[in-house]
Amino acid sequence: MRNRKTAIYRILEVLLILIWVFPLVWMVITSLKFENEVVTRNFTFLPENPTFQNYIDAFQSTYILRWLLNSLIISLVTMAATFILDAPIAYAFAKIKFPGRNILFWAVMAGMMVPFQVLIVPLYLQFNSYGLVNTLAAAIIPRLAMPIGIFILRQFYEGIPDALEEAAFIDGAGRLRTFVRIILPLGKAAATTVIILAFINAWNDFLWPLIAINESQKYTITVGIANFQGTHGTQYSLIMAGAVIASIPELIFFLIFRRKIIDGIAMTGIKG
Amino acid sequence: MIPGNKDTRDGILFSLPFLIVFVLFMVYPLLFGFYISFFQWNILGTPKFLGLQNYAELFQDAKFWSSLWHTVQFVLMTTPVLLVMGFLMALLVTSKSPLKGILETCFFVPYIFSMTVVATLWAWIMQKDFGIINQVLGLLGKEGVSWLTSDKNAMWSISIATYWWTAGFNMVLFTAGIKQISKEIYESAIVDGASTFQSIIHITIPLVKPTTILCLILQIIASFNVFGQVYVMTGGGPAGSTRVLIQYIYETGFSYFRMGYSAAMSYILFVIIMAVSVMQYVFLGRRND
Repeated sequence: MRNRKTAIYRILEVLLILIWVFPLVWMVITSLKFENEVVTRNFTFLPENPTFQNYIDAFQSTYILRWLLNSLIISLVTMAATFILDAPIAYAFAKIKFPGRNILFWAVMAGMMVPFQVLIVPLYLQFNSYGLVNTLAAAIIPRLAMPIGIFILRQFYEGIPDALEEAAFIDGAGRLRTFVRIILPLGKAAATTVIILAFINAWNDFLWPLIAINESQKYTITVGIANFQGTHGTQYSLIMAGAVIASIPELIFFLIFRRKIIDGIAMTGIKG
Repeated sequence: MIPGNKDTRDGILFSLPFLIVFVLFMVYPLLFGFYISFFQWNILGTPKFLGLQNYAELFQDAKFWSSLWHTVQFVLMTTPVLLVMGFLMALLVTSKSPLKGILETCFFVPYIFSMTVVATLWAWIMQKDFGIINQVLGLLGKEGVSWLTSDKNAMWSISIATYWWTAGFNMVLFTAGIKQISKEIYESAIVDGASTFQSIIHITIPLVKPTTILCLILQIIASFNVFGQVYVMTGGGPAGSTRVLIQYIYETGFSYFRMGYSAAMSYILFVIIMAVSVMQYVFLGRRND
């Protein structure tokens, strides 16, 4: 009786897994079919003659490789710059007693409540007046003003015992040296979380790059894929090939950092 | 603490790089946007001061109200379902099942795909003539459903794609919440003869309440900000029946170049989201007391 119940549970779980993964499988299967096999009433599940033609077409007839490269540059620069900007101020908030620290901290944290959508019109006018519209810099810079990384890092730095710092000061190390040699290495775990989340958020960004960039060669991959449907309306096999190509970098990133990503979300509850 | 205490200098020096970016690209645009919302403001041409006219116009703009209503519809269609799904997934992932690791990865994996990929994929799955759902319905002798092309179904179809995409996110938060409940509570419940179902109702659900509130607030905010799914899957159609507020803000600002009016609408959205955020602090604050 108990065995049978367990078996039913296992079967239900396997079914759930299959249902959940199916859309992804379907994306790959569609991308391997010829279009006339996709747009037909004679429905077949698997491709009769699997083909990579859609992938070749995607690379040849669109800027998909450029879009991937743009997204990669944007995400990597955002990741590095976020760390360079956030770590020092997080350290100052956690360990340096300077006047106005608390007010400043709450002012910065209040920035977490500002939905980005409110800023799109003024930011666009701002970047337009700097002549930066249509550049990768425009896609990167506004993300750097988001304070969530500081919140995570400060919480971690606060847990580092003061004695470690004091020992370094007694040995004659200055503030910068202490920060670079002691705080940064000890805070590696939190820093990894921050930069991984920065990477993912920059990679998945859609609304702002859609506004800030309007030349198809400079699109990010998310904007490029969204516009695919406009330009290749009914070529579903080609569109799915594009979607697969667009997802590969993220999938690799996920496979490497699976645990870190999940733990990072559990810790901070940051939603895209 | 430090010889020749330079805390003030150091504090400022370490904070300055971020603060410059923060003031330039967060504080300034926030204030500038508010300022713009009182003007007739195009990219070209001189801005003209209108006072409260943009806001007055808003209240009489049927498109604004319908977009706001569609956004609220989306919030109502997605939030409860996503909370329940996330919770049930978390129960599976924290169970004793040998498949729990695979389940966790499978449930979470859609979330790492970018929203435009997810929306494109579901637009294809739900395509009226050749999409797989209608193909299979056809094989069963049933008529296909107008998933994205009927105003009755379109918002639900967008919601279904969203369930698949982000339920895994809520699962992660619920999993963390459930893992914090001490094992001993469950053990003593078993000794008292409680079934698994009773344990879930009387132990897990009440004790995971702080996580539920956190998820609820995050989900409401995320759903209020819906845009990309709609943009890719229906473009706001059919006949404007899925046009959401951010899409209307986007179109007003960047298709019709009515920046002032667009900014005024963003501020209304801002006030709504702020109200939700404040509720978060009220509820979570009470928990900490």
